[in-house]
Amino acid sequence: MATIATGLRHAKCAGSIAAAQWRTAVLPRSTFSLAIRSITSDSQKTTPPNLEVEVAASVPIPYQGVTHARVVPATPSYFSREPQFNDLYIGISKLLTKYNHLPTVPPSEAPQMPWTKLEEMRAQMGEPIKASHYAKVMRVAKRLNLIEPSLRPQEVKVALTEFTRDINPFLNMPNPITIDKFGRAVGVGKRKESTARAFVVEGTGEILVNGKTLSEAFGRVHDRESAVWALTATQRLDKYNVWALVEGGGTTGQAEAITLAVAKALVAHEPALKTALRRAGCITRDPRTVERKKHGHVKARKMPAWVKR
Amino acid sequence: MVFILGVSFHEGQLVKKALESFYALGPTTSARIMAKYSIHNLAKVGSLSPKTVTSLTAELSQMSIESDARRQVQENIRRLKDIGSYRGRRHAMGLPVRGQRTRTQTATANKLNRVDRRA
Amino acid sequence: MASISLRSLVRPSLPVAPRIQPIIIAAFSTTSLVSAAAPPAIKNRKDLPKKTKKTYKKKQNIVPVKKPAPGERKAFRKRIQLSNNSALPVAGLDALEAQTMARPESSGRMFAVPDEVVDQLRALEAFKSTQTWNLFRKPHVLVRKETVELMGRLEASLEKKEAFKCVLTGSRLSGKSLMLLQAMSYALLNEWVVIHIPEGQDLTNGNTEYSPVPDTEPMQFTQPVYCLKLLQNIYKANRAVLEKTPLKQDWSRLSATLKPGSTLADLALSAKESEFAWPTLSALWTELTQPGQPPVLLTLDGLAHINKVSAYRDPAFNPVHAHELLLVRTFVDALSGKTKLPNGGAVIAATSQNNTHFHPSQELALSQLEAGQAGKPVPKPDPYERKYDDRVYDALKNSTVMRLEGVSKEEARVLMEYWGASGMLRSVLDSRVVAEKWALGGHGIVGEMERASLITMRM
Repeated sequence: MATIATGLRHAKCAGSIAAAQWRTAVLPRSTFSLAIRSITSDSQKTTPPNLEVEVAASVPIPYQGVTHARVVPATPSYFSREPQFNDLYIGISKLLTKYNHLPTVPPSEAPQMPWTKLEEMRAQMGEPIKASHYAKVMRVAKRLNLIEPSLRPQEVKVALTEFTRDINPFLNMPNPITIDKFGRAVGVGKRKESTARAFVVEGTGEILVNGKTLSEAFGRVHDRESAVWALTATQRLDKYNVWALVEGGGTTGQAEAITLAVAKALVAHEPALKTALRRAGCITRDPRTVERKKHGHVKARKMPAWVKR
Repeated sequence: MVFILGVSFHEGQLVKKALESFYALGPTTSARIMAKYSIHNLAKVGSLSPKTVTSLTAELSQMSIESDARRQVQENIRRLKDIGSYRGRRHAMGLPVRGQRTRTQTATANKLNRVDRRA
Repeated sequence: MASISLRSLVRPSLPVAPRIQPIIIAAFSTTSLVSAAAPPAIKNRKDLPKKTKKTYKKKQNIVPVKKPAPGERKAFRKRIQLSNNSALPVAGLDALEAQTMARPESSGRMFAVPDEVVDQLRALEAFKSTQTWNLFRKPHVLVRKETVELMGRLEASLEKKEAFKCVLTGSRLSGKSLMLLQAMSYALLNEWVVIHIPEGQDLTNGNTEYSPVPDTEPMQFTQPVYCLKLLQNIYKANRAVLEKTPLKQDWSRLSATLKPGSTLADLALSAKESEFAWPTLSALWTELTQPGQPPVLLTLDGLAHINKVSAYRDPAFNPVHAHELLLVRTFVDALSGKTKLPNGGAVIAATSQNNTHFHPSQELALSQLEAGQAGKPVPKPDPYERKYDDRVYDALKNSTVMRLEGVSKEEARVLMEYWGASGMLRSVLDSRVVAEKWALGGHGIVGEMERASLITMRM
């Protein structure tokens, strides 16, 4: 039995091997055109078509001026698994050896670079880059980035662009909140399903939410306190007036959305308060929301009761 | 103890409840009777003046309540039975009369539907 | 070896102090040995102690729990507690005097309510269980800007010899009932006669006895039991004034005790039975509206309830409008100016935001009056609303609307200082805390400020 089984397995394997031979089409590497030293380039290019008759008379001597018997790839990396990537690595390593002596800055002071991610690099080059290789290359690239920016050679700058994304996410900054001509700063805050806009002006501590006073807007004292928490925590409640618009969600969400909105607008008035507000928990948006319901579940996680039949 | 129509009621009982304890005297009728004698919603039986109690008794004795009302209902059912109608038969069988299902939930019909209906 | 090791494990004996008292061998007992029953001797299997079956049922509560008497729980719920021994007494605050609240310089100050006035106010049921009197040692009131204004109007009514008619309105917990209380204490201190209907709802929700007045078209009703209670309250609160005032008319038909020289107090006391309550009350009211009698303050809380169709029915089962109830009608006539008060005095009604219903006619009438007073464009009635009640407009059209909202920050500070002095406010009191509570209380709504700062104290 065992022998039959192994025999069958062999047969199956053989079949798959055989099948693979005619099924797999060798994909051309589109991005990477091989630079091959052509054998016949000289004679064919120089020979004009009207001299075909004389061809027989002047038969060229083969292999003249040819040093290699076979086609030689443009780069030695051709035989590696990831030729383009390998080239990059070689180039960058050479640069590092060349400029290793240049002074560096600590990593915290090095310019922020939008480094290409592994997945992106794989997609760009069409090569199955190993994560370990990628890490090795990036280590070198980041080392080059540490070179003192004023002394950095142009060569290095060009080389590092190969490792950066086209879009720089670090430039994608929110618009700073400005204080308009009426002295208002508008902050937007969100919590759960609620969105709040708070218009904060210097004043005497009057607070209106959707045109209503705090006591009319929020029945719960706790909600009222959390709505003005940004001002209370920084002891600015009697220095500013707040006119807030809030919609969506319930009372807790609305109150805490106002907290966030007021805090942002307050930072526009007094940037020095930012750390105090962060400590008071008024800067970070609470990301917790209702978990979605899933099919097959009664709620987000709850499963129907198990029934035997 | 206050006697209305020969029935004794505890003094702390609401007049409304006392009136509605009679067969065939529901909320509408009791509200009308109380309005007629200007008795407020939370009036207790004990707070009624003797004159009001007598006039209440007189009023109730004019109405067809209790045994009169029962007899009327029984007569109606007997009439249905005597003319041999479907509704009469259903009453006699103690089954639902107005086309309800009989597979389940016929306890009320079992209890109430009969020719000499009591309740 | 083993014995040594064992001995080492034995707990070492502690040194014991020598006993001073001799050890009594026999057990101490006052009963003789013979009278102590010996356990029964066991002779056969029957005498063996029987095994009791273990039950896991809840044990029956054998001790009968004494249930509260009927009405006891409600009385506890509705009780008025005016002092708190745990609160600190606040020294240095003046007591209210006759003219204190009318003086502009007393605006923004706290005053103690004198004890005799407290008793009178209690008799009038001016205190409410929802107010926070039970947190402080002694009732104190804040004299607000609006208080001074109102008391000024009351004072002016005496000179003009006509009634000051006013409706107090404003947002929830803004102190409308307290303003009524202040007006009442002003009147009591100035020897007016005060008549207070503590809750308009009690008159119209059909929970008190009513009886038709014969030969009236449309039929009118009196509320004998309520009137008797009101009469007794009026007597208790205004006893001193009533005893000083002689009757102007002959009321001997009401009671044999009323002779020509009798006083108003005799008249108020003459009603012992509820049947005579309304005639006596109306007689008292007629006397008070005669010239030369003391001025009257007539107040009512919960205006919306007396402007609607009541829960009562006439003998033909038609709903009865609240204005057909004679006590309500008396108030409404006074408020609309139909009844003149020739000695001066005031008729004040307060709306309620807690215990109320949507009342389009009243809302419209009040907003129109308010706009008219302020010289703003008068709001028009909603063309799609069908339930406007002209009687409400007629009742309210001659009155002044006074709107109460939050107190100013200075007043809030005075109030919070009083709280702090009573030991009710733990935190340090500075302008920042005042501003915080003022904002949390919806721009100084007093009740909301109490909720925000004293909420932990409320029992």
